Amino acid sequence: MISSKINHFFIEVATDYSGNVKEIVAGKFVKKEFVINTSIFTVCPFLEGTLEALPIKEPFLIEGMLIISSDKEYNVDIELFKDNDFVSVLIHNRTNVYKFVDQLNQSRNDLFFLKREIDEKNKELKRLREIADKANESKSRFLAMMSHEVRNPLNVILNYTDLIKKENLSEKVINYVKYLTISGKNLKVIVDDILDLSRVEAGKLELANEPISLQNIIEQLRNNYNASHTNKEIELFFNTSKDIPEFVFGDDVRIYQVLTNLINNSIKFTPKGFVKTEISVIKKEKNKVEILFKISDSGRGMTKVQASKIFEEYQQNKLSDSRIHKGAGLGLSIVKRLVTAMQGNVSVESKVNEGTTFLVEIPFLIDTQNTFRKKEKIEKLEGNFIKGKKILVADDNFLNLKIVEHILKKEEANYLFTRDGVEALLAMKKENFDLVLLDINMPNLSGEELIKQKKTFDNNNSRTPFVAMTANNTKEDIESYFSIGFDAVIPKPFTPKQFIDKLNNILSKSVKS
Amino acid sequence: MIAKKVLLVGNFGVGKTSLIRRFVLNEFSEDYISTIGVRVSTKVVSCNDEKIKLLIWDVAGTKDDEKVPKAYFLGASAAMYVFDLSREETYLNLQNQLQVIKDLSGLQKMVLVGNKKDLLTAQEIDEVKNKIPLQIDLITSAKEDENVEDAFTQLAKQTLK
Ligand SMILES: Nc1nc2c(ncn2[C@@H]2O[C@H](COP(=O)(O)OP(=O)(O)OP(=O)(O)O)[C@@H](O)[C@H]2O)c(=O)[nH]1
Ligand SMILES: [Mg+2]
Repeated sequence: MISSKINHFFIEVATDYSGNVKEIVAGKFVKKEFVINTSIFTVCPFLEGTLEALPIKEPFLIEGMLIISSDKEYNVDIELFKDNDFVSVLIHNRTNVYKFVDQLNQSRNDLFFLKREIDEKNKELKRLREIADKANESKSRFLAMMSHEVRNPLNVILNYTDLIKKENLSEKVINYVKYLTISGKNLKVIVDDILDLSRVEAGKLELANEPISLQNIIEQLRNNYNASHTNKEIELFFNTSKDIPEFVFGDDVRIYQVLTNLINNSIKFTPKGFVKTEISVIKKEKNKVEILFKISDSGRGMTKVQASKIFEEYQQNKLSDSRIHKGAGLGLSIVKRLVTAMQGNVSVESKVNEGTTFLVEIPFLIDTQNTFRKKEKIEKLEGNFIKGKKILVADDNFLNLKIVEHILKKEEANYLFTRDGVEALLAMKKENFDLVLLDINMPNLSGEELIKQKKTFDNNNSRTPFVAMTANNTKEDIESYFSIGFDAVIPKPFTPKQFIDKLNNILSKSVKS
Repeated sequence: MIAKKVLLVGNFGVGKTSLIRRFVLNEFSEDYISTIGVRVSTKVVSCNDEKIKLLIWDVAGTKDDEKVPKAYFLGASAAMYVFDLSREETYLNLQNQLQVIKDLSGLQKMVLVGNKKDLLTAQEIDEVKNKIPLQIDLITSAKEDENVEDAFTQLAKQTLK
């Protein structure tokens, strides 16, 4: 006797070859659908066409069929056995099992399609990002190029204004030249800012990682501001706490830039009072230190909203101010980017009419070996090595030549000017020089092509130091100049001091050797 | 009237159930309810002046190397292999998959159908065709009711051969 519960999970029916129900053998599962002498195909459509094809006397299993009874669907497995004159049909109700299979299956397939959708969206995103990156990159490249093109002539203008200043001038002209200098310098700040910003954006900014003295930076700031700061209404303070490590690894030029940007910004917005620069240690470990640079002022301050936007590009505090602001308001966004590039953090605290404090936190590795001092000893030179030296200069840019001439004349060098590479080559065939300064982009024979022939010079010029003067001054450019034989590179634009220092450095070495 | 058993097989989600629903009920749904096991629908078609009752087996879709149970093919007169024109993985290995089904079913020929035509441009469809080394019998859209009737007519014809 079969337990009544199991009865409801199966039914066994016997039919003839064409599917007419002949007997209900056992079980009660959807029993009312099976009526003697009617076709089993009504409730089991899957048996139509199948029964006829069944092999004789072979048990046959078909899984996963569907039966509908009273509008309910049942998943069933079927066992068939065809005998000589009838077919035995055993139907197992597996709805519960298939319910899980169903769920699993559905989830699996849904997941699949979801994943596909995500993949496609990601592809699209990636494409869009590439387009955006490209656009941004070309923008940066364009800006960098523009600034480059603007910087060179601008430098010529500034250098000439410097020269004019030294002439005997009337009171009126002195004033004109002063305004010219101020505007020129402002323009230079803007152009330099744009160049910097686009470099950072294009990922082209390379930070130095050399032993530096933060103390020195502060000293330098103090000296420079003492010399240039003339506004008696604002007092400047500079402070370094005693526990600052002597030497850390970093980029002093960029730190200097960050600090001057912040100090200038504070001076700009402080009608009266003070601007204070302080350096202190936040945290110090064996070979790591976190430094806080704090620039506070007693200026007019900002609202919260203004403070929150201060590091965005092209933001300049829009409060009315009768004074002309220097720069295009790029200074602070450069600060932000530089500090971020140094793994640091910059924030601002401000109260309207009370003042503003900028907080810059930067982590440094400590230079425990003091490599800096050794290095400095070598590089700090006393004396003038330029005086009396025979120097050949090749440059097709008349204005550049004039500036170089002015400097060399002052340093009492014995110089010869040529206007292109071919002229320079001729000059070198005739006489020996102590130093050769080559512009890279020259007509007829470029500096690059010229130096490749250096080894073939049969006189002493084959051992003369060659210096490239060039506006192509990315790290890769400079490395490539060294690799083709230049002994030094003077990046254009240069200040007279940079120029003189570089020449002294090279000439002092060639004296020793 | 003669009855003929036919099967629709192919990867999961290619639109087998949708094609049958379109053909039998003239309905379409964007929802995807994966078929479990087998669902049989019937429709009477005329073919060469003959009426045929098509017993259409909607078989659960397969994935990768999964095989359709051999038992399903017992007594089958024809089969339609459906792939999704918008999903490369459903047609990349067609030749192999068709061979497997021929071996399982003993059928000599199959109707090869590329579905979801509405998702591709004419040019994209040409590209798909170029990737497939076999003759595609019909390019259909269950959604927009394109060539669905023809696909089943062809299937019915094949049952008579
Ligand atoms: N755009 C478009 N979508 C379709 C078409 N045919 C089917 N679909 C969609 O594709 C999905 C899968 O369709 P089904 O008919 O369930 O596919 P199947 O082959 O029966 O899937 P399994 O039962 O899992 O093997 C559903 O979301 C349908 O709406 C079509 O011609 N065009
Ligand atoms: Mg389906």
